[in-house]
Amino acid sequence: MLRVALRNVRAHLVRLGLSILAVVLGVSFVSGTFSLREMLSSTFTGIVDAGYQADAYLRGAEGGTHTTQEGASAGDVRTPVPAALAETAAALDEVDHAFADVTGPIVVVGEDGTAVTSAAGAPSFALAWYADDPTLTLTEGRAPSGADEFALETASAESTGLDVGDTTTLVVGGQITEATLTGIADMGTALAGATVVLLDPETATEVYAPDGLVESVSVYAAAGVSETELVALLDDALAAEGTAGVETVTGDALRTEARTDIESQLGFVETFLLVFAGISLFVGGFIIANTFAMTVRQRQREFALLRAVGASPLQVFASILVQAAVVGLVGGALGVAGGLGLVTALKALFESMGMDLAGDVPVTTQMVVVSLVVGLVVSVVSAALPARRAALVPPVEAMRDESPGQARSLRVRGVLGLVVAGAGTGAVVAAVVRAAGDDAASTGPLLGAGAVGVVLGVLLLAPVMARAVLGVLAAPFVLALKPVGRLARGNVTRNPRRTASTASALMIGMALVGAASVLAASTQASLSSSIRSEAIADLVVQSATFVVPAGAVTEIGELPEVGAVDTVTVGRATITEAGQAQDADAASATEPSYVVGLTDGTFGRSLTGPTIDGDVDTLTDGMLAVRTDEADENGWAVGDELTLTSQSGTVTAPVGAVIDSETLGTPVVMSEDLLLVIEPKAQEQVETVLLTAADGVDVADLKEAVTGAAAPYVILTVLDEDEFVSQIAAEVDQVLVILYALLALSIVIAILGIVNTLALSVIERTREIGLMRAVGLGRLQLAATITVESVLTAVFGTVVGLGVGVALAAGMPTVFAEVGFNTLVIPWGELALMLGIAVAVGVLAALWPAVRAARLPVLDAVTVD
Amino acid sequence: MTPVSTAPSEQAGTAPGTTTSAIASARGLEKTYGKGGTAVRALAGVDVDFARGEFTAIMGPSGSGKSTLMHCMAGLDTPTAGTVVVDGLTVSSMSQRQLTKLRRTQLGFIFQAFNLVPTLTAAENITLPLDIARKPVDQAHLAAVVKAVGLADRLGHRPSELSGGQQQRVACARALVSRPSVVFADEPTGNLDSTSSREVLSFLRTSVDELGQSVVMVTHDPVAASHAHRVLFLADGEIVAEVTQPTPDSVLEVLSSLSRQAL
Repeated sequence: MLRVALRNVRAHLVRLGLSILAVVLGVSFVSGTFSLREMLSSTFTGIVDAGYQADAYLRGAEGGTHTTQEGASAGDVRTPVPAALAETAAALDEVDHAFADVTGPIVVVGEDGTAVTSAAGAPSFALAWYADDPTLTLTEGRAPSGADEFALETASAESTGLDVGDTTTLVVGGQITEATLTGIADMGTALAGATVVLLDPETATEVYAPDGLVESVSVYAAAGVSETELVALLDDALAAEGTAGVETVTGDALRTEARTDIESQLGFVETFLLVFAGISLFVGGFIIANTFAMTVRQRQREFALLRAVGASPLQVFASILVQAAVVGLVGGALGVAGGLGLVTALKALFESMGMDLAGDVPVTTQMVVVSLVVGLVVSVVSAALPARRAALVPPVEAMRDESPGQARSLRVRGVLGLVVAGAGTGAVVAAVVRAAGDDAASTGPLLGAGAVGVVLGVLLLAPVMARAVLGVLAAPFVLALKPVGRLARGNVTRNPRRTASTASALMIGMALVGAASVLAASTQASLSSSIRSEAIADLVVQSATFVVPAGAVTEIGELPEVGAVDTVTVGRATITEAGQAQDADAASATEPSYVVGLTDGTFGRSLTGPTIDGDVDTLTDGMLAVRTDEADENGWAVGDELTLTSQSGTVTAPVGAVIDSETLGTPVVMSEDLLLVIEPKAQEQVETVLLTAADGVDVADLKEAVTGAAAPYVILTVLDEDEFVSQIAAEVDQVLVILYALLALSIVIAILGIVNTLALSVIERTREIGLMRAVGLGRLQLAATITVESVLTAVFGTVVGLGVGVALAAGMPTVFAEVGFNTLVIPWGELALMLGIAVAVGVLAALWPAVRAARLPVLDAVTVD
Repeated sequence: MTPVSTAPSEQAGTAPGTTTSAIASARGLEKTYGKGGTAVRALAGVDVDFARGEFTAIMGPSGSGKSTLMHCMAGLDTPTAGTVVVDGLTVSSMSQRQLTKLRRTQLGFIFQAFNLVPTLTAAENITLPLDIARKPVDQAHLAAVVKAVGLADRLGHRPSELSGGQQQRVACARALVSRPSVVFADEPTGNLDSTSSREVLSFLRTSVDELGQSVVMVTHDPVAASHAHRVLFLADGEIVAEVTQPTPDSVLEVLSSLSRQAL
């Protein structure tokens, strides 16, 4: 009896263990997301608090975005104010000191001779270091003085590997300089991998504020003056001086603003991660539902006995749900621990990449409570249906010996599935048709809703399809592996509901993988075809910091091998039709958008593309070229006048051409000269340089010469057309890899689901396994049968999932044609790879259940009750 | 305990249960479950021979060791001591792999219940041992067996669509189709009504008489045992009696005398 009892305990562990694991994984994702957000939030809040210590700030009236990262990325709207305002402020008695915040992009060459960049994408920027700036504390050496000296923030000094006294190369304001590290200063907070270079104020102003305009001015109050009082006094002082367009904010207001900004960005990241956590939990729900469906079936007689001695259906129902609640709570608690482990590992990973984050891995009560509740709810909801079924089985029926033949009809489910899938398909088709009919406005959400409908419908239909689809998939096994194939086919089709819900877990992940792979391949193809047809320059020069230093542009232009240098410069401006600028209702026009300035003659020499109307050569005459999509949307046509407004100036110019360009992703294109009016610092914002070889120089020679000239700038890459295309493809691949990594968890859970179903069905089929072993089935044959079952389940889920994903993704190019998505590519190779992975997954999942089954002693199996 | 024999043994001078031309035999067969004080001796040194081409029934009260004897003979259980030889092969010293092969090629099994794989049709269940062994199906033999069990019109049905008697007849056909050396039947009629029982038993007897099959059957039903050529009686792990050409009455008589002895 002891043996039986022990076996029961073990069987229970197996039954519930994998369900708990599924909850643990899903909840880990959830709690890890919360914890990561908390950690990032405290890191960035720390940066804000350390970086903005002034009591008041003076800045442009229109307001701008203020985060510490803004200084480094070119092209953002900065609200310049005169640096001289610092003196106005400092003249007040209530002001202790005030200084202009001078900042800008910089490149430091580290000890190893390469540019210091953050793998996590954190910026590298320079700050003017004033002696009385309280945000910085000198820890070693002395403050820099003059253009050939600089200091570094502590963590930056560490990541560059430089010591005080070392001389290295800087790229400051587009020029290469040799400078000596004179000191190291601490900002008192983790900087999340940002590289901070400190320059003396004169040098910084010369480079970053040559026109005397800075982003903001920091004002520190004298003792006893509150921030609000200070702001009032400053406003009076500014008014007295007659300075307009300058806004005064308290330090608190600015810090709150910056924090809100960070929180909303982190909120987006959090939501994004939680979507994937939700997918994992949804998938985990299938495992729990399956487990309870199977254990309930095995315990049917036990329930019948309970019912026979007077237990009500509700009591039976409750007893099962209690078990589910335990699974959920245990899984949730372990999941919290798992999430913390996950974040600890991530933190270590980030730190090894040079991105230091603040403090310990945080645990909040809210996170623990949410995790436990999530685990509990997922588990109880998943178990509710099987529990209800068990509770409603009449005792007499349950008492009956073997009752596997009582498969409930799938008709209701089939009809429901058809309706949902049909509605979903209808929505998708409607979206595609409307998009094809040029009515793209509301098709995105429609497509999304349709896609969800199709996926849910297919999940409902899965058991109905199972028998037919599995029959086809199993055919090669039945023919090739006798009798294993036939036995395996019988096992996976005997309970289509179970097989389908096991496969569904994989289906969801695979549908997303299929859709993502089609979208990625199509995006790559769309981009590369537009680049190949539109970018006709011989070489493309780009920068790791997204700004090509002006010095590099000049030097490259002077090379004898270079025939023509065309620069693509990015600026920002609000675009309105001339005369409507005052129209307050034109809400859409108030959002600034990116605009591009091109060297005269770029079209035809470095870029080409279909001109819908007008003539692109009119760019040289100070006219604008507008993209056809935005032209249609806003009703712009050749001859219309547009007004472009930025913080620095306003330009009104007629539209000279309507073009269809995917390479230049901005609504308005103009000449470089025109852009200078609204972006005085345009020369510092060259994003891309397009080069054409001089007559008689071949591209290889040109590339060698340009690469040589670009080398000292360390951040530049010189690409020919093929390299440019493959670089863009690689960027898409990076996104795809992140997506795959996030989906990987749901796939892992799906694998657990297959293991779970197989392990439970081995327990359920012990008698049958014993019988087959008694009539001569070898252990290997038995293991092979279970493996084939597993592979069939995995392949079923994968085939249906990929099919749904690919079909849905195929509808997208039509819907999103507007945004340059013009080619549909189905990556057959990649899909075949996924199928291969499914087979591998199947084999992997079968490993443990197969070994377990093969080890069952024949006699015990035959005689088991 | 003294062996009781109510019918003269055909092989005078030998111990009950042993014959000369055996298809399966055991010598000094012992089986002990558990260890130390709680050890249970299921077989206490059994010497037994099952004759080729004979239908042998094994009877005895619960716990007499009759099932253990059959399991050890069939290689489903490993004896604690002693040897088992089936058709010249020493089963008791075989590895798991050899045992699997033995079951596949030399032995046929019929269990009391749960005899068929529910996902396979009757025909597929019958040929399962051949499929497992990847041996070609001798269609003429298959047809003969199917005809003998009277299932020709039921071959495409799944076990859940067959009555208990039909299921056991399918199991009989499966046990015979690979022409095993011995068929071991463990209470094959235990779950059947009397009509179905008679069908199954007379089929087993026919297979012995007409096809020359050797059959060993464990049963507790005197009527079932009376279909055999010979009945062996076990008690406390030893063979205590033997009846040849049994009738229900002669079997009952031995059983009652055995239980009197036990008292």
